[in-house]
Order: sequence, then C-alpha cells, then structure tokens
Amino acid sequence: MPTSRTLAIVIRTIEVFETSLVATLFTRELGKVGVLAKGARRPKSSMQGGLDLLGLSDIVLIPKASEALDLLTEAAPVERFAPLRRDLASLYAGYYVAELLNELTDLHDPHPKLFDAARITLRHLGEPELRSRRVLRFELACLRELGLMPALESCAHCGAPVEPRGGTIWFGLATGGILCEACRTGPPHVVAITSGELEAIRALASPGDAWRRLDPTSTGLARARETVGAVISHVLGHRPRLRPLLGVSTE
Amino acid sequence: MASAGYSAVVDRLMSALGRLPGIGARSSERLAHHLLKCPPEEAIELADAIRSARDRIRHCQVCFHLTETDEPLCSICRDPRRDPSTVCVVEQSRDLIAMEKAATFQGVYHVLLGRLAPLSGIGPEQLTIDALAARVQSGTIRELIMATNPNLEGDGTALLVANRLGDSGVKITRLARGLATGSTLEFANRDMLADAFSGRHPL
Repeated sequence: MPTSRTLAIVIRTIEVFETSLVATLFTRELGKVGVLAKGARRPKSSMQGGLDLLGLSDIVLIPKASEALDLLTEAAPVERFAPLRRDLASLYAGYYVAELLNELTDLHDPHPKLFDAARITLRHLGEPELRSRRVLRFELACLRELGLMPALESCAHCGAPVEPRGGTIWFGLATGGILCEACRTGPPHVVAITSGELEAIRALASPGDAWRRLDPTSTGLARARETVGAVISHVLGHRPRLRPLLGVSTE
Repeated sequence: MASAGYSAVVDRLMSALGRLPGIGARSSERLAHHLLKCPPEEAIELADAIRSARDRIRHCQVCFHLTETDEPLCSICRDPRRDPSTVCVVEQSRDLIAMEKAATFQGVYHVLLGRLAPLSGIGPEQLTIDALAARVQSGTIRELIMATNPNLEGDGTALLVANRLGDSGVKITRLARGLATGSTLEFANRDMLADAFSGRHPL
C-alpha cells in the first residue's frame, strides 16, 4: 500500500473511540490533511508525543480515496516549540497560527513556504519584543501564499500609482489593497490608512530585516496590525477566534 | 422525520445515541438494534441508570468532583484523614479517579472541569479557576500540584493557573515527567529523555 512521508505541524486533535485520535495536520509536502491515528493514545503507542498540538513531527500516512480520513501509521516528534509551554502570550499566538493554517488552507493543497513560515514563527514566539510583529508577518505570509496579498505598491483596482493625500491612503479590504483617488469610491469596505501604516505593512511583508527595526510603540504598527487583521477577517468571513486573545501579546 | 426506513421512535433513539462521544452513525444504529433485541428489563435498567445518574449526581461544592445530591461535599473532601493543605489540580474527574487508584496521594483535589483549549472555544471562564482562586484565598492551602495532562493543552492550563495564582504565596508545582518506571532508555524518545534530564533529582 503506497505511503507518504513528510513533516507536519499538528493543528487540531480530537479524541475518538477508546484510544484513537483524529488529527488535522499541516504538512510540508501534502498540505492540510485529516488523519485517523488508531491507538495513538495507548500508553505504549509508537506515536506518543508525535501528535501533541503545535508540535512538529515526522509522519507517515496512507492516503485514502475520496473524503475519508488518511490513516496515520507513524508520527515521531521532531521539534517541540518550548516557548509555547513557558509563556501564555506565546501559547495564544501559537494557537492563532494553528487557527489560520486550519481555516485559510484547503485540504491537500501544499504550501511548503507557508509551512516553513509557520515553523519559524512558532520557533521564535518566545521573543516578547518581536512576537506581535512575527505574528503580523505570518498573517501576511498566509495572504501571500494563498494569492490574497493586498496590493501595496499601486492601486489594486486600476494599477495606477498611489500618492498619499494629506498623509492618507485608501485601503480596500475587499478590493485587496491600496486604492487611488479615482477608484476609492465604489468598492465596499474601504478604510483610510496613513502612509506610516502602509510603510509598516510593506516592511512586514518584505523579506529583509526592515520589519525588525519598526518602532514597536508607533501608531503605524498598531494600525497596521488592525488593518491586516481586518483583511484576515474579511477573507475568513469572520473574526478569528484567537484574535482577541492576542491582546496579551501586544508589545 | 424518520430516515432509512426506520420509524420515528427508532430514529430518535439512534439520534440520541449518535450524540455520545465516539459514537458515529453505524455504531448508533448497532447499539439501537442491540437495545431493541436485548431483554426489555436490561434496556429499562440502562435508561433508569442514566436518569438516576443525571438526577442524583452533582459537582462537589468545594472540589467539583462528582458527588450525590444529598452530599454537598464529595467523599474525599469529607474525609478527615486527607490533608487539605495540598491540592492536586486535575482536568476532569476521570483523572482524579486514576490518581485515587494509584493510592499515593493523601491530599485533596480540585477538578477544573476541562482544559484551556481556545481552538475549541474553551477559555478560562469555562473552567473552575475562580473557585480554585477562592479556595487559595481562604488561606488553608500551602501547595497546588498541577496534574493536568503532559501535553500542550495541559501545560497551557497549568500555565494559566500559575499566572492567575502566582502572586498568592502558595507553592505551585507540576507533576514530574520523563522516563516511566520499568521502561528502558533504548526505547525512550527524545522528549522523554529531555524531560528526564531537566527533571533529574539528587540521589
């Protein structure tokens, strides 16, 4: 029977029957998968420790046809993200990462770059001064990987260059990015952001280190957090359940 | 409305059974057929047991373990031989029963009635942490032993309690973890060994 082996982050588990688990895993090579782990809760199970929530494991599964759960045959723990067990703010941020992975991605739709971004984010959530910026970068990584990254350089509607007017720029939550003056009327869910806020979002979405140098106390960063959060809520169709709990992790 | 050729009564039975944890559509159908095939008194006894348990079982007013309605405190809280200054905090009554079967703990308990699981909508307000804080404030407790499960949700729950009661002056400890007695190092995984090293103690 063909098997698949890959790295996986455990993003949801449900206890079923006497000793089994149904888990949702975000894997590097296969995308999000739902698996049945028979006997995983037995005291001497070979999967013990490999299906702990938000743990990274080396897994082997037997894919099932149609909509049935895949069968998990091995799950060996590879990395435990220790900060999540030491600090409540880190834990809530970790849960938020899991919620986004679960809700934003489709089954069997691999996103290796998003997997790597999640792994790095979970690994470094213990740095309190950078935590909320790391979460923001992860939110933007989700949007980029799913093809939903807001336009930040030119008008999302017509492609024209966008000049700040009195320091204000229009941002369409539904249109997907900044809007020029001509396009700002018409599309629904348009908010005003400052040029400082736009610069903060650009820095957070860029691969370099500029995001580390953002002033954590600046209003631009705080508003960037709100705007990106609003985009995520718009994409999901509801506010993420963990988002209010991220308040404990604000810098 | 009845489905798959069953009468509405049988359908209702299967639907009720199907709401039990771990019971899917096939299992609920199988159990319903068993209940309809077994001697009537056996099925009635089950129904009576369920009704009686639901009517007569409540949570202990102090520790939230299960107790009968005519006893506001559970048998452990009523036992004068137990040490009320040491409280073992568990997620659910089943964990308490496991501890009691081991018969190694002489203190009392506090049942949280769940664990912190925000992804499933279970937050601090769904747990009995306020009642635990009130017990701590009463001044009789010297140590809280956090015996939540050794997984992320259990650790998170312990962290939440420690954060909430850290300033109370009560000693808060966590159950040791690592190598199981009778096991062998050869088959221990990396996490077990890491826990065993970090939790080592002098001989």
